[in-house]
Amino acid sequence: MSTTTIRTMPTAQPLAAIAGFAALLRDHGLSVGIAEQQAMVRAAQAVPLRRLRSIEAAWRAIACHDAQAWRRWPELFERYWHPQRVTGRVKVSGQTRPARDLRQVVQSLHDAMDGHSQPPRSRQAPMDAALDDTATANDEAAGSQAQGGASRTEALHDRALSQWLPQDLSTLQRLAERIADQLSRRLTRRWHDDAQGRRLDVRRTLRASLRTGGVPVHPAWRTPRRERPRLFVLVDVSRSMETHAQLFLRIARAFVGAASARVFVFHTRLAEVTPLLQRDSAAVQEKINAVTAGFGGGTRIATSVSDFVGVHAGAQLGRGSRVWILSDGFDADPPQALAEQLQRVRGRGARITWFHPTEQAPASQAMQACRGLIERYVRLHSLRDLALAVPQLH
Amino acid sequence: MDDQALREQLQLAGYIADEGLATTLWLADELARPLLVEGDAGVGKTALALAMARARGRRLVRLQCHEGIDLSQAAYEWNYGRQLLAIRLHETADASAAERLRETDLFTREYLLERPLLQAIASEQPCVLLIDEVDRADEAFEAFLLEVLSDYQITVPELGTLTARHIPQVLLTSNGTRELSDALRRRCLYHWLDYPTLAREIAIVRATLPEAEATLIDQSVAFVQRLRREDLGKTPGVAETLDWVRALHKLRFTDLPEDPDGLMATLGCLLKTRDDRFQIGPDRVRQLCEGRRSVGVAEKAPQPAAASGG
Repeated sequence: MSTTTIRTMPTAQPLAAIAGFAALLRDHGLSVGIAEQQAMVRAAQAVPLRRLRSIEAAWRAIACHDAQAWRRWPELFERYWHPQRVTGRVKVSGQTRPARDLRQVVQSLHDAMDGHSQPPRSRQAPMDAALDDTATANDEAAGSQAQGGASRTEALHDRALSQWLPQDLSTLQRLAERIADQLSRRLTRRWHDDAQGRRLDVRRTLRASLRTGGVPVHPAWRTPRRERPRLFVLVDVSRSMETHAQLFLRIARAFVGAASARVFVFHTRLAEVTPLLQRDSAAVQEKINAVTAGFGGGTRIATSVSDFVGVHAGAQLGRGSRVWILSDGFDADPPQALAEQLQRVRGRGARITWFHPTEQAPASQAMQACRGLIERYVRLHSLRDLALAVPQLH
Repeated sequence: MDDQALREQLQLAGYIADEGLATTLWLADELARPLLVEGDAGVGKTALALAMARARGRRLVRLQCHEGIDLSQAAYEWNYGRQLLAIRLHETADASAAERLRETDLFTREYLLERPLLQAIASEQPCVLLIDEVDRADEAFEAFLLEVLSDYQITVPELGTLTARHIPQVLLTSNGTRELSDALRRRCLYHWLDYPTLAREIAIVRATLPEAEATLIDQSVAFVQRLRREDLGKTPGVAETLDWVRALHKLRFTDLPEDPDGLMATLGCLLKTRDDRFQIGPDRVRQLCEGRRSVGVAEKAPQPAAASGG
C-alpha cells in the first residue's frame, strides 16, 4: 500500500471502501446495515473536502448506537483507514489488499456528485452501486481481516476467563437478564395499576371521571402484584477457589444489575460486597481483597452460612428466596455443621442451588450430609456452563 | 451553514462544544435525523438542547419523560371539558337549531390539547424538540416515539395524520437507567458525551462565571478533574463544578487555599453521597490539591500472609 499504488488507481472505488469499512464494523459487533451505509455515503458527500477530519465524527454518530460501540470506534477507524499508524499489527507477505485513502474516497464521491447534472439522480447512482458492492467488499474485508491474525469466529464461551472482552460481558449481561426474567414471580397481597387488570379501582376511576364531567370515560384497573424472588449469591473466595473467584464475582455482579441480588463473599467469615459491585469500577477485585484480607486461612462454609442466615439476610430470607452458593464444597467446619445450617436456610423456605467449578458435584463428607437440602447442583466453570444452565434456573 | 459556524454559534449561546459534537449536530440537521445523546449525569446533555435552541434562534419544546408517561401527556389529549360545554351551550342556545351539532364538530383542532410532541410537529416555525431522559419512559411509549421520529407525523384517529411542516431538530437524552430498544437507537444518530477535558472545562466555567478570578477557576477545575479520577459513587459533573466555583467565588476566594479545612465546608457542592464524603477526608483533599496521583489502597498494603485457605 505504497503511495504509488494509490496513484495508479486514483478512484479506488469509494463505495467499495466504505462498504468494506461497514463490514469491518459489523464483524466487530456494531449494527451497521444498509441504511447506515447510505447515511455514511451521504455524510461523506456533505462534508467539504477541506474539513475532512470531521468525517470521522460524522460517521461515528451514524455507526455507533450505544456507549460500548462508541468506545470501540477510534480503534476500528484507525485500523481500517490508517493501518500504518496502528502499532503492533501483523504483516503478511504475499497477498495485498487494495489501497485505501480516506481523502481519495471522499474526493471521488464529491466528483461523482458534481459530475451528474441532476442532483437527485446523482444521489441515486452511488446508492445502487453501494448495494451491489456490498457482497464483494464483504469477502474482501473478511479475507484481509484473517491475514491480520484475527479470525472471524471466536470461541467466545470457552476462553479462559482471565481475558474478558466487552462482548463477553454483554453476553453475560444478557444471560443474567434472561435468568432473572425466568425466576418465577410470586404473587403478593398488594395490588398495582394495570390497564389490563381485572379489578376496578373505584377511587381512581371516580377521580379521573371529574375531568369528563363525572362520566367514567377512563376506568382504572388494578391487578395483583407479582414480585421477583430475592436472590442471594454467596461466593467462596478461599485459596482453593482462587482461580474461579474472578468468574464467580463477575457473574454475581451481573446478577446485582439484573435481579438486584445481594452478594456475599466468604472463606472463614462472611462479608457483604453488594455495594462494591453496584458501581462500575475497575478496582472491584482489589476492594474485595481488602474486605477479606484479615479473614485468616481455611474455608468455613457452615460458619459463613450461619452468619448469613442469622445476621445478614434477616427477614429478607423468606419463602421463595433463592440462595446460590458458588463453592467447591470443601469445608473446614465439622461435617454435620453445614447440613444444620443449610437446614436453617431451608427452614425459612428458601431454595438452595449449589454451583461448583468441578466436573462432578462436590462429594466431600460435609456435602454428602446435605444432599437432600440442595435443590440443584450446577456446574459453573465458564460462560458456556451458565448458558447451558439457563433452562434449569427458574 | 457548516459545523464550524454552528460551533461558533453554540459558543455565543454559552455552550462550548468540541469539534466532534459540532459535526454530529450539524449532520443531524443535514440528514434530518434525531440525535440520541448519552452520558453521565451532569455532563450537559440537557444544556446542549437549550443552547442549540438559543443558537439557532428556535423555540425549544421540551418533553420530560417519566415512568408511566402516556400519549395524553406526550402527544395530545381531547379537551373533554370544552367538548361537554359546547354540547350544553348548543342545547341551551337554540332549541330549533337550524344547524345541528354533529360529532365531527366536536373533534376539531379547536378541542385538541397539544402536548409537546404535537406542538413540535404542528409548529409553524422550525423548533428544537428535546425528549429528556427517554430511558425513564416505558417500552410502549418508546414504540410510539418511533413513528414520530422516523416520519415526523402523529396520527390522531379522529382527525387523521398530522405531518410536520418543518422537521424539528430532535434531541433525545438518556441516563442509561434502562437499555433502549435497538429500533429507537437505529433511527437516531448517537453521541456519547464525556466529561470535558481540562481546557474545555476551564473555558466552560469562564464563559459561565466571567466574574470569578482566573487563578481560582484554573485551580479548582484542575482539582475537580483529579477528583473525577477517584473511585467515587457519584462522579461530579460540570454542573457541580460550576456550583463549586460559584460557592468559592461567593466566599471571596481568589485561589484554592492551601489549608484543606477551608475547602471541606464547600465540598458539599461536589460530593453528594455519604460514602464519598467519608472517602475524601481532609488528607485526601490536601493530596488532590497538590496534584498527587491517587494510589489504590489495596495495592500498597502488604500482602497478608494469613489469606490462605481452602
